[in-house]
Amino acid sequence: MVNFTVDEIRTMMDKKRNIRNMSVIAHVDHGKSTLTDSLVSKAGIIAGAKAGETRFTDTRKDEQERCITIKSTAISMYFELDDKDLVFITSPDQREKEEKGFLINLIDSPGHVDFSSEVTAALRVTDGALVVVDCVSGVCVQTETVLRQAIAERIKPILFMNKMDRALLELQLDAEELFQTFQRIVENVNVIIATYNDDSGPMGEVRVDPSKGSVGFGSGLHGWAFTLKQFAEMYAEKFKIDLVKLMNRLWGESFFNPKTKKWSKQKDADNKRSFCMYILDPIYKIFDSIMNYKKEEYEALLPKLGIALKHEDKDKDGKQLLKVVMRTWLPAGEALLQMIAIHLPSPVTAQKYRMEMLYEGPHDDEAALGIKNCDPNAPLMMYVSKMVPTSDKGRFYAFGRVFSGKVATGMKARIMGPNYTPGKKEDLYEKAIQRTILMMGRYVEAIEDVPSGNICGLVGVDQFLVKTGTITTFKDAHNLKVMKFSVSPVVRVAVEPKNPADLPKLVEGLKRLAKSDPMVQCIIEESGEHIIAGAGELHLEICLKDLEEDHACIPIKKSDPVVSYRETVSEESDQMCLSKSPNKHNRLFMKAQPMPDGLAEDIDDGNVNPRDDFKSRARYLSEKYDYDVTEARKIWCFGPDGTGPNILVDCTKGVQYLNEIKDSVVAGFQWATKEGVLSEENLRGVRFNIYDVTLHADAIHRGGGQIIPTTRRCLYACLLTASPRLMEPVYQCEIQCPEVAVGGIYGGWYTYVRSKAYLPVNESFGFTADLRSNTGGQAFPQCVFDHWQVLPGDPLDPSTRPYTVVQDTRKRKGLKEGLPDLTQYLDKL
Amino acid sequence: MFFIIGLGLGDCKDITIKGLEIVKKCERVYLEAYTSILTCGVDVLEEFYGRKLIVADRDLVEQGAEDILEGSKDKDVALLVVGDPFGATTHTDLVLRAKEKGIKVQAVHNASILNAVGCCGLQLYGFGEIVSIPYWTNSWQPESFFGKICNNYRNKLHTLCLLDIKVKEPTLESLTKKKKEYMPPRFMSVSEASQQLLETIKKLKENDETPVVAEDSLCIGLARVGSDNQEIVACSLKEMAEFDLGGPLHSLIIVGPILHPLETEYLEQFKI
Repeated sequence: MVNFTVDEIRTMMDKKRNIRNMSVIAHVDHGKSTLTDSLVSKAGIIAGAKAGETRFTDTRKDEQERCITIKSTAISMYFELDDKDLVFITSPDQREKEEKGFLINLIDSPGHVDFSSEVTAALRVTDGALVVVDCVSGVCVQTETVLRQAIAERIKPILFMNKMDRALLELQLDAEELFQTFQRIVENVNVIIATYNDDSGPMGEVRVDPSKGSVGFGSGLHGWAFTLKQFAEMYAEKFKIDLVKLMNRLWGESFFNPKTKKWSKQKDADNKRSFCMYILDPIYKIFDSIMNYKKEEYEALLPKLGIALKHEDKDKDGKQLLKVVMRTWLPAGEALLQMIAIHLPSPVTAQKYRMEMLYEGPHDDEAALGIKNCDPNAPLMMYVSKMVPTSDKGRFYAFGRVFSGKVATGMKARIMGPNYTPGKKEDLYEKAIQRTILMMGRYVEAIEDVPSGNICGLVGVDQFLVKTGTITTFKDAHNLKVMKFSVSPVVRVAVEPKNPADLPKLVEGLKRLAKSDPMVQCIIEESGEHIIAGAGELHLEICLKDLEEDHACIPIKKSDPVVSYRETVSEESDQMCLSKSPNKHNRLFMKAQPMPDGLAEDIDDGNVNPRDDFKSRARYLSEKYDYDVTEARKIWCFGPDGTGPNILVDCTKGVQYLNEIKDSVVAGFQWATKEGVLSEENLRGVRFNIYDVTLHADAIHRGGGQIIPTTRRCLYACLLTASPRLMEPVYQCEIQCPEVAVGGIYGGWYTYVRSKAYLPVNESFGFTADLRSNTGGQAFPQCVFDHWQVLPGDPLDPSTRPYTVVQDTRKRKGLKEGLPDLTQYLDKL
Repeated sequence: MFFIIGLGLGDCKDITIKGLEIVKKCERVYLEAYTSILTCGVDVLEEFYGRKLIVADRDLVEQGAEDILEGSKDKDVALLVVGDPFGATTHTDLVLRAKEKGIKVQAVHNASILNAVGCCGLQLYGFGEIVSIPYWTNSWQPESFFGKICNNYRNKLHTLCLLDIKVKEPTLESLTKKKKEYMPPRFMSVSEASQQLLETIKKLKENDETPVVAEDSLCIGLARVGSDNQEIVACSLKEMAEFDLGGPLHSLIIVGPILHPLETEYLEQFKI
C-alpha cells in the first residue's frame, strides 16, 4: 500500500535541500483535503482511483462525516522529479546534486476560522504554503487571514485555483470570463501578499505568477491539475519556442492570430487570447464532447491530445468518463508536486531568513547558527507546535519541527515550556526522548532519529509540556518564539458532569482537552466552575464533543455560551491613589489612564512588545502616540501574562531601593491586569503610572508579602477612580449567499453575493443556525474575531447594561454581588 | 487602655513584674507571634500567666487592628511582643491607630536583641545601622543590606544583622491568589546568612568591585540570646557559612575594622 519505506524516507531526511515542508491552507470548503488526496495518491499512499473521495488527512470520524477538517494532519511523501523538470530548480540550496527524489512533508490544515489556531501551528513547522482558492467563490475572508499569517511567519505561498470543474459544469463560464476570474483571483492574492510582505525584505519577492508556474489550476475532486508549464511543454515543440518564453506568452495580455501566426500584446478582430486558445479551449472541448455524449467527437479528440484510456475505462461515459480522461491527461499529483518542488523553499533556503523570526536568543549563538544553517551537527533545536492524541487515552505525541541538530530515540534533552527563561529552572525538564516517530495521516512509524529540516513526533514529552515548547541539547539555548494566534478564545461555556461523582474524570478530561487543542483554554474559576474558552461556537462544539467522548468519557452538562469581556478605563484617575502595605511602612502612589487609540492593538500585533529594545520602543511610542520619551523608556512591564495590552510606567524620580521592589510590583500588576476590579476579567488598554513610592528602610519589611497585595490594591483604586468601562468582543462577519437568477437555457447560474458586517460576539450565538434556516441553508456566515469595543454606559451605575453584565459575571464567578468598594483599596495619607 | 508589652528574649519568666501584673488584669491578651518567637511554647506562657492568650498572626496585627483595639477604650487589652515593643519590629502604626481612636496607650519595655547583643563583648556604642537579611527567592534577591554593612564598616562600625524568620508567610504563588497557602516555618541560620553574603560578594567581585567586607572578615554568630542555651561563636565569614549553631533564633554581627583591646580579649573566648 505504501510505496516507500521508512528507511527510504530516513535516507531522504539527510538530503535537506530536497526537503519541502509545506502546509495546505485555504478558506473553509475550498477543497484542501480533497486536493491533498491527489498528492497523496501520486506519492502512492492511497490508490489513485479513490483520490478525491477519501480525505486521507481527515483522520477523525467527525471530520469524515462533516466533510470538514478540524485538526491539521501531517504526512510525508516521496517522489522523483524528471530531469527535464529539475532544470527549473536553479538555486544550489534548493536541490542536492545528483538527487532526483524529493521528500515532502505536508500538513493539511482546517479552513474554518474557528480552527485557525491549527493553521498557525501548521505554518510554524513548514516553510511553504499551498494556498487553495475556490475559483468560483474567489478570495474569501479566511483566505486572507491565513495568507496574512503565512507571510507574517515568512512562509512562501503558491496558489492553486480549485474547483474548475464547477466553473465549467455549473457556471458554464465562457473561456474569456474564466480567464478574467483567474486573473482577478491572482491579483487579489498578490494584493494581500504585497500588503503584508516587503519585496525588499529577507524573503524577497513572493508574489504568485501563473507565467512562472507558481499558480496551478484544476479540480481536486476530479483529480486533475495543471500549471502553464504543462501546456508549454505540449506546445513548445510545435512552436519551436523556448519553454520559459512560451509560459510567459500563455498568460495575460498575450494574443495569437492563427491566420498570420503572429503574437500580439493587444486584442484585435482576428487574434485570440493565448490562454483561452491553447489551454482553455482543449479543456472546454473535452468537457463539451463528453458531457454532451458526443462519442465520435471525443474519440477523435483524445488521441490528438495523447490521452490513451485503459480498457476498463472505455465503457464509461458522462462525468465518470470525464474524470478519467482529465485525470489521465493532466494528473493533479504531477502538476502539484512539480509546483511544490520548484517553487517552495527547502529548509536550507527558508531557515536562513526564518531564524531571526523564530529564535528569541542572540542571533549569533550556537543555536541561532544551527538554525540558520539548518545544520544537523549543531545542537538540537526543535519546536513542538501541537499535541496529537495517541491511541493510548490521555497520552499525546508532541508534534514539531527540528530546526537544528538531530532528535533521536533515547537521547537526553532539555524540554523548555513557554515560560522558561534562560538561566532559571522554571518550566524546564531534562529528560530522555522515549521515541521519535514519523507521522503519516492515520499511521505512525517509529524512526531512529530525525535531522534538522524535518517534521516529526515525539513520545513521552507530553508529560512535560502543556501545549507547545522548545526541545534542545544546548545548555544556553533560549526559547523558540511562542506562536501568536490570529483568533482569541472569546466564547466560553461552563461544564459540569451529569453525575457529580464523575468530577475527577472531568478534571482529567479537561487537562487532556487543553493539551490536544492549541488554543482552547480550560479554566477553573474561584467558584469551582470549570470553564472552556474557544474561538467560536463551532470550535466549542467540537471541544465539548471531544471532551465528552474522548477525554473525559462521561456525560456532561454545559451552560449557555458566554462571552469574555475586558475591563478598561475612559479617563485619567481623578486623584492620586495611595495604598499602604499591610505593615504601613511602604506606600505606593499611582494613577491609571486610557491608552491612546491603536496602542492596545499595536501591542496585540507585537508592534510594541516587551522584548523590544527599550530605546527604539520609546521612540516609536513618542512618535506615534506622543508619549514622553523619558517615561516611555521606563515601561516596567506589560500585562497580563507579561505581554498583554496594559503597561506599567515608572514615573518616579530618585526613589532609593526601587529596583528591589520592582519584581513585587510587577507581580501585583500581572495579577491586577489578569483579574480586573469590576468582574475579574482581563484589563485592556490601561496605562498605569507610578508617581512615588515610600519604602521601609530595611529590605525585610518590603518583601513580596508587603508589596504584591499593596500594588494590586493601588491599581484597583486607580481603575475605580478613572471611570472604568467594559469592552466586548466583536466579530467581523462575512456572509456568502448565492443569488439565484434564471439565466437563459443554461439552468442555474450563480453569482455569489458577499456582505460584511460587525457583530458583537454576544449576539452571534445561534446566528449561523438562524441564518441558514432562514435562507434554506444557502447563506453561510464566517465569523472571525475582529476587535474589542467599549460597551457604552458606566458599569458603576445600576441602570446601565454594563452594570448588569458585571453583576452577571460576578455571580457566575462566585464573587460578592454588588460593586467593588473604593475604600477597600484607597488609603488615606 | 491599650498595653503593648515586651516579653524579653529568653523564656516565659523574662516578662517584667509590671508587665505580668497588666497581663493578669487585662480583658484580652494578644501574643504577636510572627516577628520573633520565644523558645518556649504558647501553652507554657499561658500556664505561667494563668490565663488564655490569643495568638495574633501577621494578618491579624497588620490588617485586623480594629479587632485588636476593639473595646480598649474602656477595657484593658494587651499585645505581647517578643523582645521590646519598639525594638526590631516597630508597632508604631498600631499605637497611632489607637491614638486616632482616642485610646490611651502604655508601653512596657523589655530587653531586645538590639541591646542584648552586648553579650558578645562588643560595645553597643560601636554599632552602626542595623540591617535585616531576608531569604532570597529565585526572583527576589535584594542586596541593599550589603551596601549598608559596607558603609558601617567604612565608618568603623559593627553591623548587627537580624535574620529572616518566616513563621507563617504566604507562598509567593499564593500571594496573587485569593486562597492563601503558607510556607512551612523557616528561620535563617547564621550559616545561611553568611552564604547569601558570600554570594553577594562573589557577584560584586565578578563586576570588578572590591567590597570592604570579604570572605575573611570577622563575624560573630549568636544563637538563642537570652535563653539558657545561648551560644556565641566568632570566626571569618567563610567559616561561618559552614558553621551549625543549632536551633533558632540566630543573629549575625559583621565586626568593624577596629576593636578595643577589651573587645578583642572578650571575643577570644568565642573563637573556634
